[in-house]
Amino acid sequence: MVMDAKRQEAPVDFDVDAGIEALSRWLPTQNPIKDFIQQNTLACLQDKPFHEALAIAAKIYGARSYLPLSYYQARYRSGRISPHSLQYALEMIEPDSTRRLSLRDKVLRDEPETFSRPTSIAQHGVRSLWLTSLEVNLDALAHPILFRLIGNFLDQGISQWSIAREGESLWSCIGRMVRASIVSLHPFQNPESREIFKMDVDDAIRYALHRLAGKREYFERYLLEMALAHPGWSGMVRVIEKNPQRLLSPRNIRLKDFLAVELAIQLAILSDRCGKTFPSVSSTAGVKAIDSLERIMTNPLLPKTLRVWQEAFEHSLYIELLAGLKKSATLRHKNSQPPLAQALFCIDDRECSIRRHLEEVNSSIKTYGAAGFFGIDFYYRGVGDIYPVAQCPAVITPRHLVLESVPDEGSPLKKTNTETGHLPFGSRSLMKGWLFTQTAGLGYAVRLAFDTFRPGSNLLKLRQLSEVDVRTRLHLLRESDEPDAEGRLLGFSRQEMAEKLEGLLKSIGLVRDFAPIVVVIAHGSTSTNNTHFAAYDCGACAGKPGAPNARAFAQMANDPQVREILCARGIDIPETTLFVAAMHNTTSDEVTYFDRHDWPEPIPMPLVTFQRSMDEALERNAHERCRWFELGPSAKTLAAAIEHVKTRSTSIFEPRPEYDHNNNLYCVVGNRDLTSSLFIDRRSFLHSYQPADDLDGSTLARILGAIIPVCGGINLQYFFSRIDNSAYGAGTKLPHNVIGLLGVANGVEGDLRTGLSSQMVEIHEAARLMIVVEQVPTIIDQAFSQISHLMNWLDNEWVRFASLDPSDQTIHIYRDNGWKKEALPPDFEVPTGRWSMDVYQGKTETIPVHYLTRGLA
Amino acid sequence: MNQLILASQLFPLIGFVTIVFIGHSENAVARISLFFTHLMGIAVVGLLSVWVYSGFPQHEYEWFTLYRSGEYQFPLVFLFDKTAAVYLFCTWIIFSVIVRYCRYYLHREAGYKRFFLTIFSFIFGLNMVILSGVLDMFFAGWEIVGISSFLLIAFYRHRIQPIRNAQRAYSIYRLCDFGLLLAALLLDVIVHGHNHFIELDQALDPVRSENYLELTGLSLLLILAACGKSAQFPFCFWIPRAMEGPTPSSAIFYGALSVHLGVFLLIRTEAVWGDHLMARLIILLVGILTVLVASISEKAQSNIKGQIAYASIAQVGLMFVELSLGLQPLVLLHFLGNAFLRSYQLLVSPSIITHRLRVQGATDTRVDLRETSIIQRAPEIIKEHLSEVLQTTLEVIAVQEFNLEATVRSILWDSFRHLGSVISKTRAWFRWAMVFLLAGVGFGIAMAGLSIRPYWAGLLALMMLTLAVLAFTRKRDPFKTWHSVCGSTVCAGVSTWVISHGVGSYLIWFIGTILLAWILGSLAMWRMRANKDYEDSPFVYRAMAERAPGLTLLLFVAFLGVVGFPISPAFVGQDLILYYTSIDHAWLTPLIAISMVLNGVSAAGIFTRMSMGLPYDLTQRHMHDHDAGIPRGH
Repeated sequence: MVMDAKRQEAPVDFDVDAGIEALSRWLPTQNPIKDFIQQNTLACLQDKPFHEALAIAAKIYGARSYLPLSYYQARYRSGRISPHSLQYALEMIEPDSTRRLSLRDKVLRDEPETFSRPTSIAQHGVRSLWLTSLEVNLDALAHPILFRLIGNFLDQGISQWSIAREGESLWSCIGRMVRASIVSLHPFQNPESREIFKMDVDDAIRYALHRLAGKREYFERYLLEMALAHPGWSGMVRVIEKNPQRLLSPRNIRLKDFLAVELAIQLAILSDRCGKTFPSVSSTAGVKAIDSLERIMTNPLLPKTLRVWQEAFEHSLYIELLAGLKKSATLRHKNSQPPLAQALFCIDDRECSIRRHLEEVNSSIKTYGAAGFFGIDFYYRGVGDIYPVAQCPAVITPRHLVLESVPDEGSPLKKTNTETGHLPFGSRSLMKGWLFTQTAGLGYAVRLAFDTFRPGSNLLKLRQLSEVDVRTRLHLLRESDEPDAEGRLLGFSRQEMAEKLEGLLKSIGLVRDFAPIVVVIAHGSTSTNNTHFAAYDCGACAGKPGAPNARAFAQMANDPQVREILCARGIDIPETTLFVAAMHNTTSDEVTYFDRHDWPEPIPMPLVTFQRSMDEALERNAHERCRWFELGPSAKTLAAAIEHVKTRSTSIFEPRPEYDHNNNLYCVVGNRDLTSSLFIDRRSFLHSYQPADDLDGSTLARILGAIIPVCGGINLQYFFSRIDNSAYGAGTKLPHNVIGLLGVANGVEGDLRTGLSSQMVEIHEAARLMIVVEQVPTIIDQAFSQISHLMNWLDNEWVRFASLDPSDQTIHIYRDNGWKKEALPPDFEVPTGRWSMDVYQGKTETIPVHYLTRGLA
Repeated sequence: MNQLILASQLFPLIGFVTIVFIGHSENAVARISLFFTHLMGIAVVGLLSVWVYSGFPQHEYEWFTLYRSGEYQFPLVFLFDKTAAVYLFCTWIIFSVIVRYCRYYLHREAGYKRFFLTIFSFIFGLNMVILSGVLDMFFAGWEIVGISSFLLIAFYRHRIQPIRNAQRAYSIYRLCDFGLLLAALLLDVIVHGHNHFIELDQALDPVRSENYLELTGLSLLLILAACGKSAQFPFCFWIPRAMEGPTPSSAIFYGALSVHLGVFLLIRTEAVWGDHLMARLIILLVGILTVLVASISEKAQSNIKGQIAYASIAQVGLMFVELSLGLQPLVLLHFLGNAFLRSYQLLVSPSIITHRLRVQGATDTRVDLRETSIIQRAPEIIKEHLSEVLQTTLEVIAVQEFNLEATVRSILWDSFRHLGSVISKTRAWFRWAMVFLLAGVGFGIAMAGLSIRPYWAGLLALMMLTLAVLAFTRKRDPFKTWHSVCGSTVCAGVSTWVISHGVGSYLIWFIGTILLAWILGSLAMWRMRANKDYEDSPFVYRAMAERAPGLTLLLFVAFLGVVGFPISPAFVGQDLILYYTSIDHAWLTPLIAISMVLNGVSAAGIFTRMSMGLPYDLTQRHMHDHDAGIPRGH
């Protein structure tokens, strides 16, 4: 047949799998939206130096690499970029002193606002050139068909009918639809266009590429440009192919199948529009002149002025922290008083301010910071949950499963359905819909009016993922060593519990002087009407609230037998010490305490005091957060502030329930007394660490192993979504439409959007994370040798790194060629304030690091 | 009561104007919007109370006559009755909620002012439709609603897909709007000026039998208009595609208000189609087909907004069925329920992820025909083979939504495209030869002493149609398209002038407006084009709204002028042209209508292509600042 003859012509030397493997490097790796995990948007280029990677990505994705010139210049004029830092950046980027002078002039010169942005290879590459010459808007015709098919195929619970049969691959599913249907699938009306589905996937791809791209040399380029014309779906397919367990109802999907279907659609459309023989890419005039991928990769062009500004901007911000730390380190004094309570928080930058306020309210409370899964990794299934979820950073695969159970069968919990509140999505079937709209529809007028004019009355009683019924219990102790069908162990043995606890307590340096109360505070977030809810929860718990981990931690640490094992290992927890689990809701600034049934009666005094202090700290924290909300309360009182943030978390029209990780910038690993008297404006991840206890750097290596990918990932996700929200981010969230419970898209026919929405990053200052470790460089080097797989983060400057010597407070900054001693500018004065409120009151921008005297000076 | 009607009608307009002039900041815009929403609310509540107090009357109020020419008149007449009361009540509630909602939801959004301006103009148009007592005024409101929809779908003008979908929705609107316009004129011709809604019954009764054909055509045109606006069969596809703006705007337009306007039109004109069995049957059929298409398409929608849209369309289909059965009160109740429910569903649609994951988990979503009772009873061979075929067929139908979009597109537009490409492929000598030939024939007729006017008019009409088709097809050069559009519209005016006596001075206005719009548009595009050489990538959206907002506004005004938007004199002009031709030379009317539809779509295409999109640097000029390579080891 005709087809067979053509298949003979198709070059067979194209290795489809290798081609797909190579192009998949450039695809976004974002998970389905229910497990949104913050990660470096440009992880594909992490083996390149930071600025070089930006320049390459600019050409590939058509993205901006830096903020507009006017942004930096305005900051320079307002003093937030210091002349010292500008000089520093100029010297770094332009070694030649005469050229440096002219560069300096150029950097400071006013330039008219430019609207233009670089072009991407998907929109302005060989394919677009070819399609322009054909005068066919191929993507506009093919994408809606393709997205509808893939959306329905992968759907996780929105559509009622799914085209996917069990175990069927996408290619054979579409093949079946083309062949077995009485009504033909558009655009395969022409019988000839259906022939391609008789081939296997590899042959189909080769054949289609032969027809579309022409010569062999354009095959890879064609595939890449095609895949990048809809990065969202391509990336999602690839992520699911690599991690099929990310889907709740499994699908047999490969990127190869997906691209083959797209090629088949394109071929059918073009044959229909342009006749059977249409010119291919390689016969288009001008394709030779377009830069090859290799050329883009090896010869990136860097905008020098903006690079100078970005470096100067970051340097200014780093100096603010380093000077603050230095001052605080010289002035610190050991508080010899035994603490009333110890509170263990997540390292999250949002907890930075609540810790400061808690200590300000009650100076006898000492706080600690650790990654929010508290060293305990497990799958967790709560009461009423259908699927277990992993409660640990995404890089860890847990081996244990923990179930939540109802202790007392006699007191029935309310059924989940009623707790979830009635959402009117059920009435979509026709007759029910008819009855429903005729009768109850009018009721929605009332509900609509109520929700809009009186938010916070919580009519939409959605039970949030983070809300935990306080009467339940965690089933922690393992009774049998038999793993379940998926190879998971049900619970932990006491030995394992002790090991987990020991690991965490040692890393934060809490091994002695236990207070009568140790509160383990996880964090989560409740927001209504928010598709990206997972991005607001704990990053160290893979986008889940950390409540189960806090509960597990407290329950383990209260177990007398576990304490015995710990005691034998040198961690002596006094019998009088009580571990309490709690969760901080970062949106509404409320704290829920768990497992109250385990508390002794009457409630110990320190715990009562702690709760009181906590309540006050929460009010102050809400007050501090409100300075960012333009439509915040007009009365500037604490009560109005806490009322306002509570309303935000329940209102259906609030696209910014909270500002999440906006302005995250620093990460300090060290003793809390180094940072406790600093006002860092909710900008720092804080991890507790005792430099004196870690002589071989192994504890530090463990800490860095978690915080570099987690905090670095958060920081860079924000960085890129802020720098170019339309290319790296998800754009504004207002038109977002939920697709198949997998992600969001603009409208009905759009590609999936990756990254963060503009509302989530709008006040973020895009600067790379600065990790400061309180330790001498030699020991840090030992730690580095144990985390060599993460060193490209540091060597290529995707995060910046500094050491603060605990003994003499010298500062070294890490560069790819080793440590360099950093001399702070001599005239730099760390600003001071008395209390937190004095510092932030009335301010609407980010605030430099302040030293808090708290009435002492 | 009259004052209250005027207040309900005009407050949105005053609000619009106020926002234009003093809405300089987000806060100001928000405050003005809330203020005028409250004012309108007071007017609406007052109107409803007075109306209830005076015992639910059918109240008509004639404000003044905008234009009169012979038998043709354009009066501003308001009608307030049960139907208007229900629609106005619903509009008021949803509009107040949306304004309040958007105050927070759109906070800091680029285009905050633009959004509020658009929804105010939408409400202005909507109230005009609801309160109008005559079909011509109804049409004016209908047009305003159409343009506002177009702007709101393309609200996120940086992305190509909203622009494209706005363009598609506009082309459907344009088609159906002309259905309505022709219907209005035809009605005028039949009832000789007694065209107020409340006197229709009386005016039509004596002429029913003699004008049977005209009334049938009129009913069909009205049904076409209603189907387009309410996304009924075969236009079901556009509503889901229109969900491109901010969620609340989708809720107000496609969930709640604008989708029910077709129903409203049919209620208003029941006097026309009510006595026609065929019209009733067609409405019934359209309703049933829509219910079928929408409820099957909905099943395979993997996105939440598309699903809600189809669910809403299916309910509107049921309303059509109810209408055809004469169940008006039920329709009104149904409308209220559907409008509120869909608005609410759309507004809380982002919660679906939490909802589904928590309550349902992933549901088992396979279509399995084998479990249905019919297949169970069927012979084995059918069970094995046919059911697989039927099932796959059903999946294909559902996933591609009956392929209505491609079908409608190929039926409506592809023939013109084809014609256009044939014309544009002809050689120059051939065209000139044709011109000479036709002119020669004209002289021949004149020499023979026959009436030459119809011939010239026909020639002009041919030219008008050719230009319209060419504009519709040739998109490479926006200038050529623009000239063709304006030329075609002028031809329409001149051809009417040639054959109709007494069109008089108003045509001068019409042609003058078009020429002015042409000059303005050309000027704006010429300025936009300066220093920008885009010959190499002609199909790229040029994002002038960002680079040159002033010129874009100018182009927009020119676009409105050319398409005969109700603020420009061309609006009444195009009414007049069609009116006069439909009296004397009915053959010309459809030709003019077709070219006007095409011209509108082409003009919208030019506007979107010039002004919207993301500003790319196609010339790569930004690279001048770069150094090659990167210094290492700094």
